[in-house]
Amino acid sequence: MAQAVIMPKAGITVESCLIGSWNKKVGDPVKEGDILFTYETDKTVFECESTASGTLLAVFYSDGDEVPCLEPVCVIGEKGEDFEALRPASAASSEAPEKPAQAEEKPGRADGKPEERGKAAFEPAPAAESRGVSPRARKLAEQSGTDLKGAVPSGPNGRVIERDVRELMRSGEKAAAAEPAAAPAVPAEAKAAEPEYDEIRFNGIRRTISRNMKESLLNSAQLTHQFSFDASALLALRQWLKEAGGPAAGITVGDMVLYGVAQTLLTCPDLNACMPDDITIRRYRHVNLSVAVDTPRGLIVPVIPHAETLSLEELSRKVKELAAAARDGSLSPDQLSGGSITVSNLGGFGVESFTPVLNPPQTGIIGVCKTVDRPRRAKDGSLELYPAMTLSLTYDHRAIDGAPASRYMQTLCRTLEQFPRLLVR
Amino acid sequence: MPKSLFVDPAELRAEGKIEFQPIPVNVYRKTLQEEEAKYGKEALVRIWRDITILREFESMLNQIKTQGKYADIDVSYPGPAHLSLGQEAAAVGQAFLLTKDDFIFGSHRSHSEILAKSLSCIEKDSDEELLRIMEGFLEGKTLRAVERLGEADSVKELAIRFAVYGALSEIFARNTGFHHGMGGSMHAFFLPFGIYPNNAIVGGSGTIAAGAALFKKINEKNGSVICNIGDGALGRGPVWEAMNFAAMDQYRTLWEDKTGLPILFHIFNNAYGMGGQTRGETMAYDLAARMGSGVTPSQLHAERVDGYNPLAVIDAMERKLQLLKEGKGPVMLDTITYRLSGHSTSDQNAYRTKEEIAAWAAIDPLVTYRDSLTKAGLAKDEEFEEILRKTKDRMTRICRLAADPEESPYVSFAETPHFLEKLMFSNTHVPSMDPSRTPQALLPKEEGSRYRQLKEKIRSATVDGKPVSKMKLFNLRDAVSEVLLDRFYEDPTMISYGEDVRDWGGAFAVYRGFAEVLPYKRLFNAPISEAAIVGSAVGYGLCGGRCVIELMYADFIGCAGDEIFNQLSKWQAMSAGILKMPVVLRVSVGSKYGAQHSQDWTSLCTHIPGLKVCFPATPWEAKGLMEAALNGTDPVVFFESQRIYDVGEQFHEGGVPAERYEIPIGDTNLIRSGRDLTILTVGAALYRAVAAADRLSKEFGLEAEIINLHSLVPLDYTKLVASVRKTGRVLLVSDACARGSFLNDVAQNLTSLCFDDLDAPPVVVGARNWITPPFEFDADFFPQADWILDAIHERIVPLKGYSARRGVSETEQMRRAKEGV
Repeated sequence: MAQAVIMPKAGITVESCLIGSWNKKVGDPVKEGDILFTYETDKTVFECESTASGTLLAVFYSDGDEVPCLEPVCVIGEKGEDFEALRPASAASSEAPEKPAQAEEKPGRADGKPEERGKAAFEPAPAAESRGVSPRARKLAEQSGTDLKGAVPSGPNGRVIERDVRELMRSGEKAAAAEPAAAPAVPAEAKAAEPEYDEIRFNGIRRTISRNMKESLLNSAQLTHQFSFDASALLALRQWLKEAGGPAAGITVGDMVLYGVAQTLLTCPDLNACMPDDITIRRYRHVNLSVAVDTPRGLIVPVIPHAETLSLEELSRKVKELAAAARDGSLSPDQLSGGSITVSNLGGFGVESFTPVLNPPQTGIIGVCKTVDRPRRAKDGSLELYPAMTLSLTYDHRAIDGAPASRYMQTLCRTLEQFPRLLVR
Repeated sequence: MPKSLFVDPAELRAEGKIEFQPIPVNVYRKTLQEEEAKYGKEALVRIWRDITILREFESMLNQIKTQGKYADIDVSYPGPAHLSLGQEAAAVGQAFLLTKDDFIFGSHRSHSEILAKSLSCIEKDSDEELLRIMEGFLEGKTLRAVERLGEADSVKELAIRFAVYGALSEIFARNTGFHHGMGGSMHAFFLPFGIYPNNAIVGGSGTIAAGAALFKKINEKNGSVICNIGDGALGRGPVWEAMNFAAMDQYRTLWEDKTGLPILFHIFNNAYGMGGQTRGETMAYDLAARMGSGVTPSQLHAERVDGYNPLAVIDAMERKLQLLKEGKGPVMLDTITYRLSGHSTSDQNAYRTKEEIAAWAAIDPLVTYRDSLTKAGLAKDEEFEEILRKTKDRMTRICRLAADPEESPYVSFAETPHFLEKLMFSNTHVPSMDPSRTPQALLPKEEGSRYRQLKEKIRSATVDGKPVSKMKLFNLRDAVSEVLLDRFYEDPTMISYGEDVRDWGGAFAVYRGFAEVLPYKRLFNAPISEAAIVGSAVGYGLCGGRCVIELMYADFIGCAGDEIFNQLSKWQAMSAGILKMPVVLRVSVGSKYGAQHSQDWTSLCTHIPGLKVCFPATPWEAKGLMEAALNGTDPVVFFESQRIYDVGEQFHEGGVPAERYEIPIGDTNLIRSGRDLTILTVGAALYRAVAAADRLSKEFGLEAEIINLHSLVPLDYTKLVASVRKTGRVLLVSDACARGSFLNDVAQNLTSLCFDDLDAPPVVVGARNWITPPFEFDADFFPQADWILDAIHERIVPLKGYSARRGVSETEQMRRAKEGV
């Protein structure tokens, strides 16, 4: 019976070998142990001995062909025997054997997945920006809202280093005034074409707001509930105070809402809180009210610490002081940090309801809206109008669920409806 | 250089001649009847059985490597297979008389040796003992796998399966292997049967086995050590070093018990080192047994024996083991054998003829030994056929089990990503390696002169602002000595050796006065054989003894390269934590002695995984770190700078405590605080950094924070990162040549960890990439205080009014790199 001689496996990592040269040709008599052909790996040359005796009936590969290991290379048997069954698939005929793909040595357990490579994720910074600014100087400039263009480099090789930014911050206005002179002259033809838009780089406060608001929406689970309450008592008290004159005449409805929040919030500790990360909550022992103030430079949120210890009049005065300081930029960093809840009043702008954005890492923010007349059924069955004020609570669902948050707002609404009671307590 | 040994000019100059004794060559003449009377028929048949088990094991691997299958089992095994096919009779003969108290060490071609030793121990151990061993090993994990082969007809059969499976699954890198598959073919071992590691470095076991013999001798343990290496290994220097180290005169002339080391250098002489023919081509000895004559007057009692006759090997082993018992070691055996297969499966046998292989195949003991037993009527053919059938059946079933990834899983690095990481260091706290014994000493510690001197010294560099005189000062050298002295009285296994450590007290006097209190065997002079010093410490350590060894200069690390980089560093992890390595390698960094005696080679050591690396620069650091190193079981390379052996403690408040304390290896030492710049230092460069920081403060109003990195591996970056985030600027300085310095690694890590806080790129200041020139040019080669100022001025923050004299421009930096200087 015809027998195939296979390409020996010259090592576990060897997948295929090259035929070097044939010592026998088809028709030659062959004895077991005769050298049939030589074959090569990338390391060395071997001789293949015949594993059978008889006549060399067929040769499936010629000199220089690459043959997968353990594939039949030739057939030995009696003259005239059929050997087609032994012909390997990769060698359709001895004239034109298909060359198997170049096999690579690879470890036995590698999964062989090609590494995926994306395009560069970001573009290089503009040339003017990347020239010689230390990372530390750049970071300081960003945090302080300082424009690096005014910095005079003093580092090695003209690098702007930290001390140059600090120097600039000290003499900030002077540098800013000098800036136009340093700017290159605009070419005449550029002047002629009207730009489609004005591109403005944010200043420090705008950048902070931008970063905080984006972070807020990206990193918390916030949603808003709208409530309204009967503001008759508040409005009546406001009217009375105004008419009575004196130091309390300046107390606004907004101040009263703040006072109501300060007096009730400790009943709901999860809303008087911050979340430093996803699994931690810091419940504050005092109500540190952050009050949103609109200023020409943007939104600023000063904090009234321990607001629950203040009287309505004290609270009102405090709000006015801080708002004034916020507008003229004289707030210290201490006065801007440590808040445990924020109140934002857009009622003066005619806003009827809105969805305030959390001031991270706080867990709650209360929006105060415009008072509108609403109908309701009176005890005698007739319709009557009453002044309804809307409060919008945005809260962080990671910290508190809908029911307790709503319960708190009910408490707040009821308290505000019966505001005078709060004053006599 | 002991004074008791007189170097007599008359004797040395007298006429005479050296005479050698004849070396026996193949002198075995016993008859089978004599052997039967001695060992019994069953033992003689069992020898053949063992040969078949070994042969089948190697044949199986050969088939797996060349055909991808054995029997009908498909197996993919990409690792090495250096087979001892044809050498089995020698392996069985070698193991026949050994017990588990005898330790064998092997080579890259040692499958047969570990299996033969296992079979020999299985035969000698009681069933209870075998069950205890198997249950106790890897919490029974290997045994549980073996039990899935079905019930065994005896405990011994179960144990045979256990040994074969444990070895095979180790080779296949499976979690059920003898060491979780982390060692593999060339590193398999099994301690419960006295089988110590094989070694993929040719001759690597030479020095390690000598250290194991040293352990047995010093700690008075039973049994001998067999160093199984090949004839090719005789070309390696460390093997010569090991033979001399094991045979030093002092064991008989100076040591307390006057006996030699119990070690047999057993050469499996298969005539080839890979393809190089030892006799006639690559070696000069003609007969390997001649080597012993170059080592000792006893000629190592060497003889040649025919390894194709297992009974001849047993006979020779009996005589050699007897010599070892009598304290006449070391001994040597040149066992002739032949490898019928290639060096590895890709060997094309280009270096030998078919006729040669056929001639050896014709006397294959598998056939000839069996024939001799049949002819003598000791066993019938059917009996042998039954043994063979059983061997093949067992092997097939074990192979199937070991190849099956469900039954014999790999360690999953996906599920246990820290698996190998946890094996790199043992991180234990073991103050004494043998608390059951009292440490031997010649005097109580308190009565030694060195102890008394240390106690009287002043432990701070200054008192009331005035510097303490050199003679009274407790310096860095004293700090190291104080810990070593303490620990000699705590750990009975602890020994120290190196060049000139005893009478001289070490070239730098760390051991001064120790000879007065310690017996020879605990503190002795080693030959000038760095490979043997480190390699033997590896053997001593992995047997369970604590060892502090000394290389006189860091520059000599090169002479012990393999022993430090491949042996000391790797055995804990390759053994999957079964072996510990309580070895502290002290190396001193020289100065004044030129290019081959002045190099800081810490970076070479930090590059090698598995070594802890320390370089204390103050006495407080030296004491605390040495204490930590000696409480652990990890290999620690402990650098000491000769420049600062005399410094006292200038930084630690209250000086060096008299009581014992540890500084965790990996911690860092804040030398002074500052807000403007961080300087990280290694070694003696600390003191130049302090000088630079003084100038920065006085002349430029910059306050530098200095942190000394007394530990390089491991290294906790926490305090470094905090400092660099604070200052935004960091300069790193050491006496290592700048190119490839470990500090570049630290600088790179700090760059990535503190990038946004950096005001300038981290700057590494190191020695020039030259030879170390003579001491007269020290300031041109090693970093100085003004180099540090120059680097700060030019690369970090320009100093007002300063002009750099040795500054390096960026063009110059690139030119140097391009020139390679």
